[in-house]
Amino acid sequence: MFLVATISLYINIAVSMYGVIAKPNLVKKFIALTIVQDSINLMVIMMGYKLWREVLIQPPILLNWNPTPEALREFVNKAVDPLPQALVLTAIVIGLAVNIFLVSAILHLYRHFNTVNMDEISKIKREMIVGETA
Amino acid sequence: MKVRNIFFVLLMIFVVLVISIPTLLGAFGTIPPEHLRSIAKQYLFLSYNPYNKSLWSASPEVVAAIVWDYRGLDTLYETMVFYTAIIGALMLYSEILGSKDVIGGKGLSFIVKRGTAIVLLAILAVGISTVLHGMITPGGGFQGGAIMAVAPIVALIVFSRTFLDKSKLTYAHFISIRSLALLGVILAPLIPLISNAFIFQNQAKSLPIFQSPIFFTYPSTIIDVPMGGLIAILNIFEGIAVFSAFALAFMILLYSEELSRKPLEGEDIGY
Repeated sequence: MFLVATISLYINIAVSMYGVIAKPNLVKKFIALTIVQDSINLMVIMMGYKLWREVLIQPPILLNWNPTPEALREFVNKAVDPLPQALVLTAIVIGLAVNIFLVSAILHLYRHFNTVNMDEISKIKREMIVGETA
Repeated sequence: MKVRNIFFVLLMIFVVLVISIPTLLGAFGTIPPEHLRSIAKQYLFLSYNPYNKSLWSASPEVVAAIVWDYRGLDTLYETMVFYTAIIGALMLYSEILGSKDVIGGKGLSFIVKRGTAIVLLAILAVGISTVLHGMITPGGGFQGGAIMAVAPIVALIVFSRTFLDKSKLTYAHFISIRSLALLGVILAPLIPLISNAFIFQNQAKSLPIFQSPIFFTYPSTIIDVPMGGLIAILNIFEGIAVFSAFALAFMILLYSEELSRKPLEGEDIGY
Protein backbone atom coordinates (compact mmCIF):
# COMPACT_ATOMS: atom_id res chain seq x y z
CA MET A 1 0.00 0.00 0.00
CA PHE A 2 2.84 2.36 0.88
CA LEU A 3 4.44 1.58 -2.49
CA VAL A 4 1.20 2.36 -4.34
CA ALA A 5 0.97 5.70 -2.49
CA THR A 6 4.58 6.51 -3.41
CA ILE A 7 4.10 5.66 -7.09
CA SER A 8 0.87 7.65 -7.23
CA LEU A 9 2.83 10.61 -5.87
CA TYR A 10 5.28 10.21 -8.77
CA ILE A 11 2.41 10.13 -11.25
CA ASN A 12 1.17 13.32 -9.61
CA ILE A 13 4.58 14.92 -10.20
CA ALA A 14 4.57 13.80 -13.85
CA VAL A 15 1.04 15.11 -14.51
CA SER A 16 1.81 18.48 -12.96
CA MET A 17 5.05 18.72 -14.95
CA TYR A 18 2.90 18.13 -18.04
CA GLY A 19 0.77 21.05 -16.85
CA VAL A 20 3.80 23.32 -16.51
CA ILE A 21 5.11 22.44 -19.96
CA ALA A 22 2.03 21.92 -22.09
CA LYS A 23 -0.58 24.43 -20.89
CA PRO A 24 -0.33 27.82 -22.59
CA ASN A 25 -2.25 29.62 -19.83
CA LEU A 26 0.16 31.16 -17.32
CA VAL A 27 -2.24 30.79 -14.38
CA LYS A 28 -2.65 27.08 -15.15
CA LYS A 29 1.13 26.77 -15.42
CA PHE A 30 1.42 28.43 -12.02
CA ILE A 31 -1.17 26.10 -10.42
CA ALA A 32 0.66 23.08 -11.86
CA LEU A 33 3.94 24.45 -10.48
CA THR A 34 2.50 24.71 -6.96
CA ILE A 35 1.28 21.10 -7.27
CA VAL A 36 4.81 20.02 -8.28
CA GLN A 37 6.21 21.83 -5.27
CA ASP A 38 3.77 20.21 -2.86
CA SER A 39 4.19 16.73 -4.37
CA ILE A 40 7.97 16.92 -4.12
CA ASN A 41 7.70 18.16 -0.53
CA LEU A 42 5.44 15.23 0.29
CA MET A 43 7.91 12.86 -1.38
CA VAL A 44 10.74 14.21 0.77
CA ILE A 45 8.60 13.84 3.92
CA MET A 46 7.83 10.24 2.92
CA MET A 47 11.57 9.55 2.64
CA GLY A 48 11.94 10.45 6.32
CA TYR A 49 8.88 8.55 7.49
CA LYS A 50 9.18 5.52 9.74
CA LEU A 51 6.55 2.81 9.89
CA TRP A 52 4.36 3.07 12.96
CA ARG A 53 4.37 -0.03 15.15
CA GLU A 54 1.66 -1.14 17.56
CA VAL A 55 4.11 -1.26 20.47
CA LEU A 56 4.72 2.48 20.26
CA ILE A 57 1.82 3.83 22.26
CA GLN A 58 3.41 7.13 23.27
CA PRO A 59 3.77 9.94 20.71
CA PRO A 60 7.37 10.98 19.87
CA ILE A 61 7.77 13.71 22.48
CA LEU A 62 9.94 14.22 25.52
CA LEU A 63 7.73 13.99 28.59
CA ASN A 64 10.26 15.59 30.91
CA TRP A 65 12.27 18.79 30.47
CA ASN A 66 15.18 17.20 32.32
CA PRO A 67 15.28 13.92 30.37
CA THR A 68 17.22 10.90 31.59
CA PRO A 69 19.48 9.15 29.04
CA GLU A 70 16.94 6.29 28.88
CA ALA A 71 14.13 8.73 28.03
CA LEU A 72 16.32 10.21 25.27
CA ARG A 73 17.02 6.77 23.79
CA GLU A 74 13.32 5.93 23.87
CA PHE A 75 12.59 9.25 22.14
CA VAL A 76 15.05 8.34 19.37
CA ASN A 77 13.26 5.00 18.86
CA LYS A 78 9.85 6.66 18.57
CA ALA A 79 10.58 9.71 16.42
CA VAL A 80 10.72 9.99 12.63
CA ASP A 81 13.61 11.57 10.68
CA PRO A 82 13.63 15.33 11.42
CA LEU A 83 16.03 16.31 8.62
CA PRO A 84 13.60 16.02 5.66
CA GLN A 85 11.02 17.94 7.66
CA ALA A 86 13.48 20.78 8.25
CA LEU A 87 14.41 20.82 4.55
CA VAL A 88 10.74 20.83 3.52
CA LEU A 89 10.13 23.74 5.88
CA THR A 90 12.87 25.65 4.07
CA ALA A 91 11.50 24.62 0.68
CA ILE A 92 7.97 25.74 1.56
CA VAL A 93 9.09 29.21 2.61
CA ILE A 94 11.28 29.75 -0.45
CA GLY A 95 8.47 28.32 -2.60
CA LEU A 96 6.03 30.78 -1.08
CA ALA A 97 8.32 33.74 -1.80
CA VAL A 98 8.95 32.58 -5.37
CA ASN A 99 5.20 32.05 -5.82
CA ILE A 100 4.51 35.63 -4.76
CA PHE A 101 7.10 36.85 -7.26
CA LEU A 102 5.58 34.71 -10.03
CA VAL A 103 2.06 35.91 -9.23
CA SER A 104 3.14 39.54 -9.48
CA ALA A 105 5.00 38.82 -12.71
CA ILE A 106 1.91 37.12 -14.19
CA LEU A 107 -0.26 40.02 -13.04
CA HIS A 108 2.20 42.43 -14.68
CA LEU A 109 2.06 40.45 -17.94
CA TYR A 110 -1.73 40.40 -17.85
CA ARG A 111 -1.89 44.16 -17.39
CA HIS A 112 0.58 44.60 -20.24
CA PHE A 113 -0.89 42.22 -22.82
CA ASN A 114 -4.50 41.83 -21.57
CA THR A 115 -4.07 38.04 -21.74
CA VAL A 116 -2.29 35.31 -19.80
CA ASN A 117 -2.08 32.94 -22.75
CA MET A 118 1.57 32.41 -23.71
CA ASP A 119 0.70 31.60 -27.34
CA GLU A 120 -1.18 34.87 -27.76
CA ILE A 121 1.55 36.83 -25.99
CA SER A 122 4.21 35.49 -28.35
CA LYS A 123 1.91 36.21 -31.32
CA ILE A 124 1.49 39.82 -30.19
CA LYS A 125 5.25 40.12 -29.73
CA ARG A 126 5.91 38.70 -33.17
CA GLU A 127 3.46 41.13 -34.78
CA MET A 128 5.09 43.96 -32.86
CA ILE A 129 8.57 43.02 -34.09
CA VAL A 130 7.33 42.65 -37.67
CA GLY A 131 5.61 46.06 -37.42
CA GLU A 132 8.76 47.70 -36.12
CA THR A 133 11.04 46.26 -38.78
CA ALA A 134 8.64 46.97 -41.69
CA MET B 1 -4.03 12.19 -31.66
CA LYS B 2 -1.47 14.83 -32.44
CA VAL B 3 2.26 14.12 -32.31
CA ARG B 4 2.55 16.71 -29.56
CA ASN B 5 0.18 14.76 -27.28
CA ILE B 6 1.98 11.46 -27.90
CA PHE B 7 5.23 13.20 -27.02
CA PHE B 8 3.77 14.47 -23.76
CA VAL B 9 2.39 11.05 -22.79
CA LEU B 10 5.82 9.51 -23.42
CA LEU B 11 7.43 12.29 -21.41
CA MET B 12 5.11 11.63 -18.45
CA ILE B 13 5.82 7.89 -18.53
CA PHE B 14 9.54 8.70 -18.70
CA VAL B 15 9.33 11.01 -15.66
CA VAL B 16 7.45 8.39 -13.62
CA LEU B 17 9.96 5.69 -14.57
CA VAL B 18 12.97 7.90 -13.84
CA ILE B 19 11.78 8.43 -10.26
CA SER B 20 10.18 5.05 -9.56
CA ILE B 21 13.00 2.78 -10.73
CA PRO B 22 15.55 4.14 -8.22
CA THR B 23 12.85 3.99 -5.53
CA LEU B 24 12.13 0.35 -6.30
CA LEU B 25 15.87 -0.38 -6.35
CA GLY B 26 16.12 0.99 -2.82
CA ALA B 27 17.36 4.57 -3.26
CA PHE B 28 15.25 5.72 -0.32
CA GLY B 29 15.89 2.59 1.75
CA THR B 30 13.29 -0.09 2.35
CA ILE B 31 9.68 0.69 1.49
CA PRO B 32 7.83 1.15 3.81
CA PRO B 33 10.77 2.47 5.88
CA GLU B 34 11.27 0.72 9.21
CA HIS B 35 14.50 2.20 10.51
CA LEU B 36 15.91 5.69 10.86
CA ARG B 37 19.15 6.70 9.21
CA SER B 38 21.96 6.97 11.74
CA ILE B 39 22.38 10.71 11.14
CA ALA B 40 18.72 11.21 12.10
CA LYS B 41 19.33 9.21 15.28
CA GLN B 42 22.28 11.46 16.11
CA TYR B 43 20.21 14.61 15.62
CA LEU B 44 17.38 13.23 17.76
CA PHE B 45 19.70 12.03 20.49
CA LEU B 46 21.91 15.14 20.73
CA SER B 47 19.43 17.95 20.13
CA TYR B 48 18.21 18.19 23.73
CA ASN B 49 20.86 16.16 25.50
CA PRO B 50 21.86 18.05 28.69
CA TYR B 51 24.64 15.52 29.35
CA ASN B 52 26.58 16.56 26.24
CA LYS B 53 26.37 20.33 26.03
CA SER B 54 29.23 20.58 23.56
CA LEU B 55 26.94 19.08 20.88
CA TRP B 56 23.45 20.07 21.95
CA SER B 57 21.14 22.73 20.50
CA ALA B 58 19.13 23.53 23.68
CA SER B 59 15.86 22.96 21.82
CA PRO B 60 13.62 19.91 22.41
CA GLU B 61 12.01 20.57 18.98
CA VAL B 62 14.48 18.85 16.70
CA VAL B 63 13.19 20.41 13.48
CA ALA B 64 13.69 23.91 14.92
CA ALA B 65 17.11 22.79 16.16
CA ILE B 66 18.13 21.72 12.65
CA VAL B 67 16.67 24.80 10.98
CA TRP B 68 18.29 27.40 13.26
CA ASP B 69 21.13 25.60 14.97
CA TYR B 70 22.73 22.65 13.19
CA ARG B 71 22.04 24.18 9.76
CA GLY B 72 21.66 27.80 10.84
CA LEU B 73 23.71 29.27 8.00
CA ASP B 74 21.49 27.49 5.45
CA THR B 75 18.51 29.21 6.96
CA LEU B 76 20.30 32.57 6.83
CA TYR B 77 20.77 32.15 3.07
CA GLU B 78 17.19 30.99 2.74
CA THR B 79 16.12 34.20 4.46
CA MET B 80 18.19 36.09 1.89
CA VAL B 81 16.44 34.29 -0.99
CA PHE B 82 13.13 35.14 0.59
CA TYR B 83 14.19 38.79 0.95
CA THR B 84 15.30 38.97 -2.67
CA ALA B 85 12.13 37.36 -4.07
CA ILE B 86 9.93 39.90 -2.29
CA ILE B 87 12.23 42.77 -3.35
CA GLY B 88 11.87 41.47 -6.93
CA ALA B 89 8.08 41.56 -6.66
CA LEU B 90 8.22 45.11 -5.24
CA MET B 91 10.60 46.28 -7.99
CA LEU B 92 8.01 45.45 -10.67
CA TYR B 93 5.79 48.12 -9.12
CA SER B 94 8.52 50.45 -7.89
CA GLU B 95 6.85 53.54 -9.39
CA ILE B 96 3.68 53.31 -7.34
CA LEU B 97 5.15 51.98 -4.10
CA GLY B 98 3.77 53.88 -1.15
CA SER B 99 1.37 56.03 -3.17
CA LYS B 100 -2.24 56.51 -2.12
CA ASP B 101 -4.82 54.62 -4.14
CA VAL B 102 -7.01 56.64 -6.52
CA ILE B 103 -10.23 54.82 -5.68
CA GLY B 104 -11.72 55.84 -2.34
CA GLY B 105 -13.24 52.59 -1.07
CA LYS B 106 -15.46 52.36 1.98
CA GLY B 107 -14.89 48.72 2.82
CA LEU B 108 -17.50 46.12 3.66
CA SER B 109 -20.50 46.55 5.96
CA PHE B 110 -20.34 47.53 9.61
CA ILE B 111 -21.15 43.99 10.80
CA VAL B 112 -18.33 42.45 8.77
CA LYS B 113 -15.91 45.12 9.99
CA ARG B 114 -16.68 44.50 13.67
CA GLY B 115 -16.56 40.72 13.25
CA THR B 116 -13.25 40.94 11.38
CA ALA B 117 -11.75 43.23 14.02
CA ILE B 118 -12.25 40.46 16.60
CA VAL B 119 -11.01 37.71 14.27
CA LEU B 120 -7.89 39.74 13.36
CA LEU B 121 -6.84 39.79 17.01
CA ALA B 122 -7.30 36.02 17.19
CA ILE B 123 -5.22 35.50 14.02
CA LEU B 124 -2.42 37.67 15.38
CA ALA B 125 -2.54 35.85 18.75
CA VAL B 126 -2.26 32.43 17.07
CA GLY B 127 0.63 33.67 14.93
CA ILE B 128 2.50 35.20 17.87
CA SER B 129 2.05 32.07 19.98
CA THR B 130 3.33 29.93 17.08
CA VAL B 131 6.43 32.14 16.85
CA LEU B 132 7.08 32.16 20.59
CA HIS B 133 6.64 28.40 21.01
CA GLY B 134 8.84 27.57 18.03
CA MET B 135 11.52 25.95 20.20
CA ILE B 136 9.27 23.56 22.13
CA THR B 137 6.41 22.70 19.73
CA PRO B 138 6.07 22.48 15.93
CA GLY B 139 6.10 26.02 14.62
CA GLY B 140 8.56 28.85 14.46
CA GLY B 141 9.29 32.15 12.79
CA PHE B 142 8.25 31.24 9.25
CA GLN B 143 5.03 29.52 10.16
CA GLY B 144 3.99 32.10 12.73
CA GLY B 145 4.88 34.95 10.37
CA ALA B 146 2.84 33.37 7.57
CA ILE B 147 -0.14 32.97 9.93
CA MET B 148 0.13 36.58 11.09
CA ALA B 149 0.40 37.80 7.48
CA VAL B 150 -3.22 36.72 6.91
CA ALA B 151 -4.33 39.58 9.19
CA PRO B 152 -3.20 42.53 7.01
CA ILE B 153 -4.59 40.86 3.87
CA VAL B 154 -8.03 40.40 5.45
CA ALA B 155 -7.84 43.90 6.88
CA LEU B 156 -7.01 45.37 3.44
CA ILE B 157 -10.05 43.70 1.90
CA VAL B 158 -12.54 44.32 4.71
CA PHE B 159 -11.56 47.82 5.85
CA SER B 160 -10.60 48.98 2.31
CA ARG B 161 -7.42 50.60 1.15
CA THR B 162 -8.52 54.10 2.22
CA PHE B 163 -8.34 52.99 5.85
CA LEU B 164 -4.71 51.98 5.37
CA ASP B 165 -3.86 55.16 3.46
CA LYS B 166 -5.33 57.31 6.27
CA SER B 167 -3.59 55.34 9.03
CA LYS B 168 -0.08 56.19 10.20
CA LEU B 169 1.18 52.77 9.04
CA THR B 170 2.85 53.38 5.70
CA TYR B 171 4.80 51.38 3.18
CA ALA B 172 8.04 52.86 4.52
CA HIS B 173 7.24 51.59 8.02
CA PHE B 174 6.83 48.03 6.78
CA ILE B 175 10.12 48.25 4.86
CA SER B 176 11.95 49.54 7.94
CA ILE B 177 10.43 46.90 10.25
CA ARG B 178 11.46 44.23 7.80
CA SER B 179 15.01 45.51 7.38
CA LEU B 180 15.46 45.86 11.14
CA ALA B 181 14.20 42.31 11.71
CA LEU B 182 16.61 40.95 9.10
CA LEU B 183 19.43 42.94 10.69
CA GLY B 184 18.47 41.26 13.96
CA VAL B 185 18.68 37.83 12.33
CA ILE B 186 22.22 38.66 11.22
CA LEU B 187 23.45 40.43 14.36
CA ALA B 188 21.92 38.24 17.11
CA PRO B 189 24.11 35.18 16.31
CA LEU B 190 27.28 37.33 16.29
CA ILE B 191 27.02 38.40 19.96
CA PRO B 192 27.94 35.01 21.58
CA LEU B 193 31.03 34.87 19.38
CA ILE B 194 32.97 36.73 22.08
CA SER B 195 31.37 34.48 24.64
CA ASN B 196 30.61 30.82 25.23
CA ALA B 197 28.89 29.83 21.94
CA PHE B 198 29.44 29.76 18.20
CA ILE B 199 27.77 31.65 15.36
CA PHE B 200 24.26 30.22 14.87
CA GLN B 201 24.98 27.49 17.42
CA ASN B 202 24.11 27.00 21.07
CA GLN B 203 26.88 24.47 21.53
CA ALA B 204 29.24 25.33 24.40
CA LYS B 205 32.90 25.93 23.66
CA SER B 206 35.08 23.31 25.29
CA LEU B 207 38.05 25.55 26.21
CA PRO B 208 38.29 25.89 30.02
CA ILE B 209 38.61 29.70 29.81
CA PHE B 210 35.03 29.97 28.55
CA GLN B 211 33.62 28.08 31.54
CA SER B 212 33.77 31.12 33.86
CA PRO B 213 30.39 32.83 34.45
CA ILE B 214 31.35 36.12 32.74
CA PHE B 215 31.10 34.33 29.39
CA PHE B 216 27.36 34.15 28.96
CA THR B 217 25.26 32.35 26.35
CA TYR B 218 21.66 32.96 25.40
CA PRO B 219 19.54 31.34 28.13
CA SER B 220 18.70 27.71 27.49
CA THR B 221 15.88 27.84 30.05
CA ILE B 222 13.78 30.60 31.58
CA ILE B 223 12.40 29.44 34.94
CA ASP B 224 12.01 25.78 33.89
CA VAL B 225 10.83 26.21 30.29
CA PRO B 226 13.37 25.39 27.53
CA MET B 227 14.07 28.56 25.54
CA GLY B 228 16.35 27.06 22.94
CA GLY B 229 18.93 29.78 23.52
CA LEU B 230 19.43 31.66 20.25
CA ILE B 231 16.59 29.79 18.50
CA ALA B 232 13.86 31.72 20.35
CA ILE B 233 15.41 35.09 19.45
CA LEU B 234 15.89 34.16 15.78
CA ASN B 235 12.31 32.88 15.60
CA ILE B 236 10.99 36.24 16.81
CA PHE B 237 13.05 38.23 14.27
CA GLU B 238 12.15 35.84 11.47
CA GLY B 239 8.46 36.01 12.37
CA ILE B 240 8.50 39.81 12.14
CA ALA B 241 10.43 39.70 8.85
CA VAL B 242 8.07 37.18 7.21
CA PHE B 243 4.98 39.03 8.47
CA SER B 244 6.12 42.39 7.06
CA ALA B 245 7.31 40.81 3.80
CA PHE B 246 3.94 39.21 3.05
CA ALA B 247 2.08 42.32 4.19
CA LEU B 248 4.16 44.40 1.74
CA ALA B 249 3.69 41.96 -1.12
CA PHE B 250 -0.08 41.92 -0.73
CA MET B 251 -0.26 45.69 -0.31
CA ILE B 252 1.28 45.91 -3.79
CA LEU B 253 -0.81 43.12 -5.34
CA LEU B 254 -4.08 44.60 -4.03
CA TYR B 255 -3.68 48.07 -5.56
CA SER B 256 -6.57 49.11 -7.79
CA GLU B 257 -6.31 48.28 -11.48
CA GLU B 258 -6.18 51.95 -12.45
CA LEU B 259 -3.08 52.66 -10.37
CA SER B 260 -1.44 49.31 -11.15
CA ARG B 261 -1.35 50.11 -14.86
CA LYS B 262 0.74 53.21 -14.19
CA PRO B 263 4.13 51.44 -14.16
CA LEU B 264 3.29 50.04 -17.60
CA GLU B 265 2.89 53.47 -19.23
CA GLY B 266 5.49 54.13 -21.88
CA GLU B 267 6.21 50.44 -22.34
CA ASP B 268 4.15 50.24 -25.54
CA ILE B 269 7.23 50.14 -27.75
CA GLY B 270 9.42 47.10 -27.37
CA TYR B 271 8.44 44.41 -24.92
